[in-house]
Amino acid sequence: MDLKTVQAQVDSDLARIVSQQDLEDLRVKYLGRKGLIAQLTGSIPGLPVEQRGSFGKEVNALKNKLLGLLAEKEKSFSLPQEDLNPGRFDMGMPGIAQELGHRHPITQIIDEICRIFTRMGFAVVSGPEVETEHNNFTGLNIPLEHPSRDAFDTFYLKDYNKLLLRSHTSPAQVRVMQTQKPPLAVVVPGRVYRPDAVDASHLFMFHQIEGFLVDEHIRFCDLKGVLELFARSIFGPEIKMRFRPHFFPFTEPSVEVDISCIMCRGKGCSVCGRKGWLEILGAGMIHPNVFIQVGYDPKIYTGFAFGMGVERIAMLKYGINDIRLFFENDLRFLKQF
Amino acid sequence: MKVTYNWLKKFVDIRISPQSLAAGLTMAGLEVVALEKAGEDFVLEIEITSNRPDWLNVLGVAREVSAIYGLKLKSPVFRAAQSKAAAAYPVKISVADKKDCPFYSARVISGLKVGASPQWLQKSLAALGCRSINNVVDITNYCLFELGQPLHAFDLDKLHQGEIKVRRSRAGEKLITLDGQNRVLDPGVLVIADSDRPVAIAGIMGGAETEVTLDTRNILLESAVFNPVLLRRTKQRLGLQSESAYRFERGVDLGGASAASVAAQEMILKLAGGKPAGVKKAGTAKTASQKINLETAYLNKLLGTAISVTQVRQILNRLELPTKAKSKNVLTVSIPSFRQDLKQPVDLVEEVARIYGYERIAQTLPPVKPVIASRNQQEVIGQIKNILNGLGLNEAITYSLVDRSLLKQSEISPDTGIVAIANPLSSEQEVLRPALWPSLVGAVAYNLNQQQEQVSLFEVASVFSGLDHSVAEEPLLGIALCGVKSFFTKNGLTRDEFTLLHLKGILETLLSRLGIEGFDLIAREDQRVNIIINQKPAGFLLELTPRILQAFEIKNRRVVLAQLNLERLLEAMNLGTRFREIPKYPSIIRDISFVMQEDFSVSEMLAAIRSGGRPLLSRVEIVDYYQGKQIPSGFRGLTVSCIYRQLNRTLTEEEVTPVHNGICSLLTEKFRIKLR
Repeated sequence: MDLKTVQAQVDSDLARIVSQQDLEDLRVKYLGRKGLIAQLTGSIPGLPVEQRGSFGKEVNALKNKLLGLLAEKEKSFSLPQEDLNPGRFDMGMPGIAQELGHRHPITQIIDEICRIFTRMGFAVVSGPEVETEHNNFTGLNIPLEHPSRDAFDTFYLKDYNKLLLRSHTSPAQVRVMQTQKPPLAVVVPGRVYRPDAVDASHLFMFHQIEGFLVDEHIRFCDLKGVLELFARSIFGPEIKMRFRPHFFPFTEPSVEVDISCIMCRGKGCSVCGRKGWLEILGAGMIHPNVFIQVGYDPKIYTGFAFGMGVERIAMLKYGINDIRLFFENDLRFLKQF
Repeated sequence: MKVTYNWLKKFVDIRISPQSLAAGLTMAGLEVVALEKAGEDFVLEIEITSNRPDWLNVLGVAREVSAIYGLKLKSPVFRAAQSKAAAAYPVKISVADKKDCPFYSARVISGLKVGASPQWLQKSLAALGCRSINNVVDITNYCLFELGQPLHAFDLDKLHQGEIKVRRSRAGEKLITLDGQNRVLDPGVLVIADSDRPVAIAGIMGGAETEVTLDTRNILLESAVFNPVLLRRTKQRLGLQSESAYRFERGVDLGGASAASVAAQEMILKLAGGKPAGVKKAGTAKTASQKINLETAYLNKLLGTAISVTQVRQILNRLELPTKAKSKNVLTVSIPSFRQDLKQPVDLVEEVARIYGYERIAQTLPPVKPVIASRNQQEVIGQIKNILNGLGLNEAITYSLVDRSLLKQSEISPDTGIVAIANPLSSEQEVLRPALWPSLVGAVAYNLNQQQEQVSLFEVASVFSGLDHSVAEEPLLGIALCGVKSFFTKNGLTRDEFTLLHLKGILETLLSRLGIEGFDLIAREDQRVNIIINQKPAGFLLELTPRILQAFEIKNRRVVLAQLNLERLLEAMNLGTRFREIPKYPSIIRDISFVMQEDFSVSEMLAAIRSGGRPLLSRVEIVDYYQGKQIPSGFRGLTVSCIYRQLNRTLTEEEVTPVHNGICSLLTEKFRIKLR
């Protein structure tokens, strides 16, 4: 008998099984003492010597396969009857699961930004919110009574001379550099405070992320490369960037970084004020005076620093139009993120 | 600051469109924030950074345009018309303190005719948003906008004794300023006075009594430089802003004061007639000429460029910074008086980079040498937040500055140890918060008002307390739960109101995930439960009293809170997991169901079982509890599961039974339980 014919027959027989009895009949037909497999095995001695081996193997394989198939069928008959009836559940009914809480969009953005920089090798550090006038201003080359201080309007503490609420995260630069030696690659996220009148885009408390890299051969082109990589990582690879000269007392040369508007892709819309560009961060090469203040030799060390407003980036990324929403803690807001 | 396209053209031959010009200026650091057509002309509004007072005028911007586009700058040359000695008017000037006013010049023009300005002049000023007054005043303003030197013209005949004294004001002195305000001057304000009274607040605003009117015949034209810091303080104290003050506080070019005065005189003679009648000066307009050596190698090393010496020279020269080759790669750059911002070589590097173009500098990735690559605190806090999110809690961020009334509502003393803000804009920014939970209760109340059934929030933030000479900052984890948690089971909706036990469960899960084992909750008299981690206090749990709930206008709800010291949590944390062998031998589980009086402590009962079951008992836990029908009041129904196990062998019933019976009788004796 031809093995292929037997194989085909097995398949069609299996398909026809509906009851335990059918299964039993089939087992006898193939695997019984006088079943097909036994017949095939019995025919082996009559074969020419050179065919016996291979034929024997094939019969054996067929037998094993049959055993497997029958066992599978057997199992399906023994399953509890009710589980075969999925119709008992209407899939229109609500699913059952533990409800997860939501992370605040600001910390999501902070974590995302910190992750991008830690992947590049930066360490995440935190600093105090109550700062000294020295760390917030003087150590950063911001002279007393200079118009450049206007940009960093500051809350002062009553009864504590020269203590204030940091108006930016840059004081962390001074703190880290006072206690550590280069090479440094650090990002510092945190709350900052400025006495700004509250409206849809201004609050007296917001978040910034400061970053800086200090080593022996850090150049302006490195600043450009790192910030470009950062912007593409967070806003997508198709984003365009531009680096505009600017002024910060603690960096020289200084730069403001714009990205092509993520709403209109540079065509000009209400979000970017028809400019096609969105300012996202300020940066520059750390001013030699800042290094001198912390006792670094500016002839040996160079570095760059950058700072960005987290709320602004979150507003752009999520399309939020009122900064106050972040701190109202309305669950209908929080649960969207 | 505004300039117009045509006005710039007076100094440079601009061949590009106003739009391209705006883009070019922006990319050189003069950000054009608005470009508007005004008749035949275009007005460019430029945001000038505080380090560049020299850009606060048309000529300064034109100088920049010439540098960016390599165009020749047509610098104006002014030569003073000579006055005949006989015509000289007798004026006296004196400066009390050179530090307040390093240079003062008074130019006298006599016999002029004040009238309306010609159309072109009126239009030029109007384009920049400046109202036309009369030809003399307009000319002073024109020179201010064009050259950046604030000028002031006095009606000479109204100056008593024809005298000018630059001095500080005295107690009780008054002045009606040009804006019509009658001001009583604090002593110490820098003023321009005549022989007996102030006639102007120096550099900020002139006085009404000596202003130039249509009747004025003779004027004294002031061109001076005042101390920027002093002016800034005066301006802030008086709350006065003017084009002139804006420039003085940023620094006016000492070297340009005389030239502007000459330029104004030239225009006045042309448009209002009159004769030059002498000039008096006090102080010197000369500045020590500064030189900076710039190494091209340093420049290229800092920028990552290969700009040649020739290119560097070209750029600096176009910015009117004369250079001399000191050696092959070093330039000696002379700093003109209008560039007080240039103090060291790095400042020149920026100048070269700006004009060369930031866009042309390559982008590279530096070798970053990480110091520590271990898990940072931020990541651990992230992990804590993830666990809480997994337990259904939402992260909130509330303000660190709060109103004192929030503390009163929360029955926290609003005075002791509270750090107050010296300059809050509103009562919401009065103090730095000493506790996290009041803000979270505020957020809970807000959400209840928005018809939320269930509010579960947490926040990680610092709180502040005032010490003798410093302020302590303590990072906390705050949790607030309120309302009814509803969830589905296969039998339908189940509703469950948040209680302290929910909070306990959240803490247990959190701490066990952080690998903290030594953890205890100890109830206190005052509704609070202390959290103890490794024998140290680490925070508290709290159910709000009805009085506080009422203060927050929370009705018919209970609010439970936790406040944990984050640093304690981080220091006790132990994420170094060690694998423990999975038990090879089966356990024997025996449950005990009983009722126990509420007066007995459940913790003590469990502790008694633990010690009584030693060493066969490996774990004991409450697997069910019930209060209500079938249980007499004052009692609770409990089912405790005792799990007996040995790691090295299979226990037998014969071994366990006496131990378990011992536990049962212990419970009956000591805790007077009744088996059910």
